[in-house]
Amino acid sequence: MNVIKANKLAAGYQGIPILKDLDFEIPEGRITVILGKSGCGKSTLLKSLAGLLPPLSGELFFAGEKIDFLSEKSLARLYSRIGVLYQNGALLNSFNLFDNVALPLRMRYPGMQPSVVREMVLARLDLVGLGGSGNKYPSELSGGMRKRGSLARAMILDPDVIFCDEPSSGLDPITLSDLDAFMVSLRDDFAMTLVVVTHELRSIRRIADRVLVLHQDRIHFTGSLAELERNNDRFIRKFFLREG
Amino acid sequence: MDEEKRIIRLPARVTIRDVSPLYERIEAAKDMEGIVLDFAGVENIEYSGVVFLNWLRRKYPGLGFVNLKPETERLIGNRSGRTEPPVKNRDELSSRRFVERRADQVIGFRNELKRYLLFLADGIFYMGQYFKARRGVYPGEVIHQLHFMGYRSFPLVCMISFLVGTTISLTSAAQLRLFGADMLLADFVGIAMITELVPLMTAIILVGKVGASITAEISTMAVMEEIDAVRTMGVVPGKFLMVPRMIAVTIAVPLLIVIADFVGIFAGMLVARFTFKISPGAFLEEMLTAVFLRDFLIQMLKAMVFGWVVVISSGFKGFSVQRGAEEVGRATTESVVLSITMIIIIDCIFAFLFYY
Repeated sequence: MNVIKANKLAAGYQGIPILKDLDFEIPEGRITVILGKSGCGKSTLLKSLAGLLPPLSGELFFAGEKIDFLSEKSLARLYSRIGVLYQNGALLNSFNLFDNVALPLRMRYPGMQPSVVREMVLARLDLVGLGGSGNKYPSELSGGMRKRGSLARAMILDPDVIFCDEPSSGLDPITLSDLDAFMVSLRDDFAMTLVVVTHELRSIRRIADRVLVLHQDRIHFTGSLAELERNNDRFIRKFFLREG
Repeated sequence: MDEEKRIIRLPARVTIRDVSPLYERIEAAKDMEGIVLDFAGVENIEYSGVVFLNWLRRKYPGLGFVNLKPETERLIGNRSGRTEPPVKNRDELSSRRFVERRADQVIGFRNELKRYLLFLADGIFYMGQYFKARRGVYPGEVIHQLHFMGYRSFPLVCMISFLVGTTISLTSAAQLRLFGADMLLADFVGIAMITELVPLMTAIILVGKVGASITAEISTMAVMEEIDAVRTMGVVPGKFLMVPRMIAVTIAVPLLIVIADFVGIFAGMLVARFTFKISPGAFLEEMLTAVFLRDFLIQMLKAMVFGWVVVISSGFKGFSVQRGAEEVGRATTESVVLSITMIIIIDCIFAFLFYY
């Protein structure tokens, strides 16, 4: 089953499309990687999928329901089912890590007992390997820790889909490998759907079930990782397989 | 002599330092026929040298390149022309008439005003929504903001109020002494401080200390994608960030005003005691013949409106930032200017409404 479906979607800023005529589906419980050259609109597409950027035209469906970007209720329903890992973590600087992860929980369930909140947050922090860092502020965390903290926050409400914008940027190979393994475990153990924007080839090979390649303001390829690797298209071979 | 000028010999190593002198020589000799660059002595060319020589080849197609080694030829030859950014049509720009540009500014101002009023309406709506459902604001955030706006502004407000009270009393005492109207000092200090100076000075302190901080904080959050992060948590950023500040300013301003009134009048009382030997009791008694409860209530209302204007204007400018750290500085400056302008306009409106 597909959790996200785009129909003739055009995305861009101030009326100028960066991406046009996008028709694609994101399967449930799988990791879909969006890749393409820098500036091709990967993050723009992710913003549209996450309900942050209204499409210029076309339709977007989440779990079979059309997203109405003008309706706060429709967006609230979408936000209640997604989590987003931002490129630089986007942890709130005035809150410590614990409060950052607790924020969605406290806002969504204001009556939840502090001890329950504490348990929920510490479990997520343990899961991402930040169990002892709850009282640290974002400025005291490394890039990798901020990303893992952001991932803990993204999954605190058990979303159906987690969007990850360039999780690999600025991470060393070991931290990146750990993060990839964690994303795979989210898929395998919790049946979560992940949509990951990246152009880190090693990462793509480790995590991708499906790949969506953007090129020249359109979708150039969609398919499985194996199909991508077998593909003889010139751009894909140049981009993905580093062949001239 | 002409032959010497015609042949330009390149140094052994062509670096960025050689580019400008070489260009000057070529420019000086460009009208001559058959100018050649002699590469005989060249052993090494830095990247800037390659860029320069490639550009020369395109700029002066008649320029000769002699004694080139094959690798140098390859380096210079392989560079294609760079991509020029689109050039704006200057004629078109300069031909736009003065009136047209002013019209654009008026439209820009109208749009900005519309956005400001919508932001204000949103703020009021979110406040109403919060008081109805008690949701959308982070627990403890109002206290945190109250501490920042009230407690941490308190020493500065006291100091400014004391100094302004002293200055006003001293300058007016010198005039009043000329007419033997010593007791009127109490009236003067009371009216000046309560109707005008205390709310205005408190608002100015709030602009500098609180408003600038709100804009800088919110705009930095926007640049760092924190606002987007808050939104995708299902939290309305306008409500989450503005409501605690609106509530805090509504509580903090009256408290600051009362304290500032006391401190300012106390300063006047001290001056009266030491210049005219007026006792504190007599000073207060006289002051209360000129200042009434109505003045105090108008002052409170005015100060609260000033406080809301500071928070709304600062938040508005903070949320207007979309990308780039340089926008944070610009938005902060604009928020200070906008807040002070709005405060002066509203002060004038209050004067017309209540004292005209």
